[in-house]
Amino acid sequence: MRGEDRPWAELFRPKTLKEIVDNERALSQFIDWLKSWDKGLPEKRAAFLYGPPGVGKTSAVEAAARALGYDLLELNASDFRTAKRIEALIGRSHGYETTVLGRRRMILFDELEGISDREDSGGIQAILSIIKEAKSPIVLIATSIHEVWEQKFRPLRDASLIIEFRSIPFTQVVERLRDVARRMGVTVEEEALERIAEASQGDLRSAINDLEALARGRPHISASDTSILVDRDRASSTQQALNRIFSAGSLAEAKEALASAYLPYEELIDCIYENMPYFFDDPRDLSEGLEALSRADIYEGRTKRLQEYRLLKYVLDWASGGVALSRRNSKGSGLIMAIWSGLERLGFPRGTFSVIEAPDGIHVRPNRYLGDDWGRVNSSIRELGGSWMRGEGFWLVPYFRQPQIIWRYGRTKMGREHQRRVAESVAEKYHISKRRALSEVIPFLKVIFKEAPERSEEIMKWLGLSEDEAEWLKS
Amino acid sequence: MKMSGAMWAEKYRPQSLEEMVNQSEIVSRLKRFVEERNLPHLLFVGPAGVGKTTAILALARDLYGPTYRNFILELNASDERGIDTIREKVKLFARTAPISGEVPFKILIMDEADSLTAPAQHALRRIMEIYTKTCRFCLIGNYSESIIEPIQSRCSIFRFNPLGEEDMRRWLRSIASKEGVKLLEEGLLAICEASKGDMRKAINLLQAAAAVRGGVVDDTAIYSVLGKTSPRRVREMINLGLKGEFIEAREVLRSLLVDEGMAAEDILRMVYSEIIRMNIPEEWKIRLSDAVGEVDYRLTQGSRPEIQLSALLAKLALAGKEMAR
Repeated sequence: MRGEDRPWAELFRPKTLKEIVDNERALSQFIDWLKSWDKGLPEKRAAFLYGPPGVGKTSAVEAAARALGYDLLELNASDFRTAKRIEALIGRSHGYETTVLGRRRMILFDELEGISDREDSGGIQAILSIIKEAKSPIVLIATSIHEVWEQKFRPLRDASLIIEFRSIPFTQVVERLRDVARRMGVTVEEEALERIAEASQGDLRSAINDLEALARGRPHISASDTSILVDRDRASSTQQALNRIFSAGSLAEAKEALASAYLPYEELIDCIYENMPYFFDDPRDLSEGLEALSRADIYEGRTKRLQEYRLLKYVLDWASGGVALSRRNSKGSGLIMAIWSGLERLGFPRGTFSVIEAPDGIHVRPNRYLGDDWGRVNSSIRELGGSWMRGEGFWLVPYFRQPQIIWRYGRTKMGREHQRRVAESVAEKYHISKRRALSEVIPFLKVIFKEAPERSEEIMKWLGLSEDEAEWLKS
Repeated sequence: MKMSGAMWAEKYRPQSLEEMVNQSEIVSRLKRFVEERNLPHLLFVGPAGVGKTTAILALARDLYGPTYRNFILELNASDERGIDTIREKVKLFARTAPISGEVPFKILIMDEADSLTAPAQHALRRIMEIYTKTCRFCLIGNYSESIIEPIQSRCSIFRFNPLGEEDMRRWLRSIASKEGVKLLEEGLLAICEASKGDMRKAINLLQAAAAVRGGVVDDTAIYSVLGKTSPRRVREMINLGLKGEFIEAREVLRSLLVDEGMAAEDILRMVYSEIIRMNIPEEWKIRLSDAVGEVDYRLTQGSRPEIQLSALLAKLALAGKEMAR
């Protein structure tokens, strides 16, 4: 495929529904809704797709249109600034179910976030009236998250079926990158793939763009080649937002910081949760900060359970201002303390390392040759999100860490599947619930499988476990 | 005894009421039901691993003979998705009387019935009434308090106690000798201490320790297994929290949630029982119990269990600092 001069992100853009990575739930919601048009006008004549960039929202609409035989009319923000312009573009055709050629029609308003209040005289109203009269599916797409919940979009939200797209899980980004690299004839170190995926924060398009940029003029990409990715805009905008939230002095300031992050609020809460202990080193601050986050979580639970998005503002208040105002005595030295205590636990005296706060993160430089100890130190520092800078001779621990919740759960997706099946077998054999199986029996099974593999064969057969499931018990 | 299964807790589960080593009062009353070929609805309450499920399975086998499986249905309330699916399953099972045999009813076993909400229990009570002719219900739970009054009043209640140490010892010794395991006195003592009358845990512990140590079980073998199981890790997490090492405590929490796949509620239950037994000033036990209780409630309200549990760890860190003063 070398010699193709289209950008890779374009080249590998999904063409069919099957090619779309992840977001199965959103996809099936969307397809179900489209199919419901076959049985007459559905209750909601528009679908409102929102989510972070590069996760396949537009591709999903295009692929679905192709699969279900619709002609797709795509309009971008610049096309629907004013009511007049919209009407000029789609004419009155939206009232009719089919095009001249007898094909069904679907209208897509993409990049909805591009509408701003001032200049767009009547744009939203015009879309709204199109939705009200629509005899064929109308699709709205908005990329950013917070804006979707702003007041101005409210009429559109109310008139639409809301469908959320989420960031692509880490493992899937890696997998897709590996596939792209293979097809483009580039060899990429596994660690480099992971770094690219991490930097993309679940934005598959930007991940593929990065891969292409790195591959330019190189047949082989190694982990150290990826260091330029650290400076990506998005990562730093999240970092800056977190930094501002953690040091904001007022609710307004904290809320503004929260809104400036380029992330869905759920992921932002994960980021705040992940990084707070490194920032709030005073136990009282940390306790109050997590209390605030706990309140945010409760409002999130209520918002989702009741499907009442007006409650969302309380989630955001607690996650921003509630957290910010908890900080009184912390000096923000939690990360450096965690590094030192990790090194001390390994039994190194302080003089063994120089630990320096640099603009890009904390540098941990060994003062002597570590020999075989390197591995132990490396795994301790990796747990804090750091990595060894080959050629530089130190570990770099960034101040901000990706939310572990997402990556960990993403990485162990298969693991959880095995876990579930083992729990089911044990629950059945022991006449107990799966939950009890996990907390009361499986820990003992794990010991047996790990320590006495020769005895585990028989148990594996008795429980009817596959090799993979037995492997999970050993891990 | 029929040898069934590679895990000893199952392999040595008593198959008939005759084989049960404990709960003799309960067993003799259950035997009478078998003789009379009739029984009321039953409610078995008591802690884990004391023979509640064993007793009803043994009763069923004694009552129906070797094909007893055709006459019973086991449901676990905590695995079922809501009372509606339970109703459907019960309906299918209970609408017909047994095809053969001299006993005119089947037995429906509903384990962890106390995990059902009160409205679900009321619905269950209705179901029990509708099918009472063809089906007897045996509800099993940890506490009778969490079963609604109208159900309690329709059942014969049997309270199962933790196994006495003598019964435990006898049973464990007999398993050890059948399996060719050398069970030393200090190993036996350690098992009894750790399992507190929970036979399932005791036997699992014995088997894991025997596997690890190639057939000789002393106290260090037991402790080494315990160190790898969840309650110990929960204790480790609490201690890290109290010492103010929040980040490390959170790592343990994550490993319990992700690697062990434990439910947040179960972790919290262990945290609670640890705190109550811990060597800290009494007034702190009350304060911490309040904090645990609040988190327990919030788990039902929020959407991220890990954040709720972490908030508790941060409270522990604060408490640890204040206690040290």
